[in-house]
Amino acid sequence: MTQSKGERRRVVVTGVGAVTPIGLDAREMWSSMREGRCGVGPIETFDKKDLYIHIAAEIKNFDPAKHVSSKKVQYGDRYSWFAARSAEEAWKQAGLPTPLADPYRSACIFGSGAGGFNTIETAYDDLFIKQKKATNPLTLLRIIGSSAAAHIGIEQGIKGPTFATCSACSTATHAIATGADYIRHGLVDVAVTGASEAVLTHGSLRTWQAMRVLSPEGCFPFSKKRNGTVLGEGAGALVLESLEHAQARGATILAELKGVGMSSDSKDMVNPDVDGPRTAMEFALADAGLKPEDIGYLNAHGTATTLNDVNESNAIKMVFGDYAYKLPISSTKSMTGHLLGAGGAVEAIACIKALQDGWLPPTVGLDEPDPKCDLDYIPNVGRAAKVSNVMSNSFAFGGLNAVLIFGQPPA
Amino acid sequence: MDDVATKIIDILKKHMKEPRDDIGLTTALTDLKIESLDLAMIVFDIEDSFGIQIPYNANEEVEDFKTVGSVVDRVKALLEGSGAPAKA
Repeated sequence: MTQSKGERRRVVVTGVGAVTPIGLDAREMWSSMREGRCGVGPIETFDKKDLYIHIAAEIKNFDPAKHVSSKKVQYGDRYSWFAARSAEEAWKQAGLPTPLADPYRSACIFGSGAGGFNTIETAYDDLFIKQKKATNPLTLLRIIGSSAAAHIGIEQGIKGPTFATCSACSTATHAIATGADYIRHGLVDVAVTGASEAVLTHGSLRTWQAMRVLSPEGCFPFSKKRNGTVLGEGAGALVLESLEHAQARGATILAELKGVGMSSDSKDMVNPDVDGPRTAMEFALADAGLKPEDIGYLNAHGTATTLNDVNESNAIKMVFGDYAYKLPISSTKSMTGHLLGAGGAVEAIACIKALQDGWLPPTVGLDEPDPKCDLDYIPNVGRAAKVSNVMSNSFAFGGLNAVLIFGQPPA
Repeated sequence: MDDVATKIIDILKKHMKEPRDDIGLTTALTDLKIESLDLAMIVFDIEDSFGIQIPYNANEEVEDFKTVGSVVDRVKALLEGSGAPAKA
């Protein structure tokens, strides 16, 4: 069974942008990945009192006055800063004018798992601890989960469908999938898609800590020593366009978005099911019209929790059969930390860079694999490999699965 | 069975879909059909009831969380303030 049928336009990527713990733009992020640099370190930007998790992948050198060009966005939440910066980078790379000749033919679908978490915390501190009489007047606008999408829409002059997706760690992937769908079916010609996340606060860490899924030591996907994930922050943006639109304006095409697969486990809030991820990968292959052997690299969800990594490896084996053992797979979360809602966009960019560069990023910190994770996870050192198609997996709490397949630009 | 054990078994029963009356100190937690999120809730409830902090990580199989008795021992050690932190 496939999810998408009928006549449709081809979708290409013409711009990418990223803000991550290992680089404040896509180029710097990719060069960090090439070096196998890890962004996880001791928490420095907030109070660690009463925390027993002392590590995260923080963005420590982000200055909105310097890194965000719009004054209006500078008044927004940290998650909107990351979003606007990544979207502006992607838009610039695409070489699109602001606004487009017909701004109603463009969309902005830009999600966040949690919205303005920093703002919520500051506001509660003001109200309940400092006993202030009122919150900052911008509090509400900063918190709203669609404020990043709205900011990007305002900055880039987008007048078509503009909203946020929200599906925990699959947020960005669902946003990209939705943008692609709008282009395929002719609703718009251009879509800025992706997600942003900035939840590294004391209160947020306390909530994650209570769920007992964070590692106190590091993010080691597929490793025997893995004992939980590590939270990160950041954003990723992709400018998607119809192939005709990109060709007509002579744009440089970075990759083609060939397939999308989505499914829901419909089972449990935390325990993943093997059939949901398996089906999402199968749907993506069918949607792209590709066979499992056509995929040359898989960017795994690979969170480094005990449950995900075994379940994902099992799902990959079900989809790829014997070829699963030959397929190079890595979790770039080993370097970026878990960017939650933004992860899917940043990982999609790693996939596109891998296609362009002929080089596959590694899973760092993988000295001894878990015997239950027995595939090729590109341990510690990346490798040169010219690949035609790549797959990116995103699976979220609640069993919400979304998978993308990118291929080389059309000849 | 002492107060600590009784209180912990009550907490366990509260979080079970089908509470049983045959839970003893040797009962393995895996026999109680407790899933990972349930265990996080149980640990939270125990921490709240006893005013202690238990360094438990759902990603690791910890000896302290094998049987009801091992949980009781762990809580008692923490209550006495003599408990070395469990391997987190």
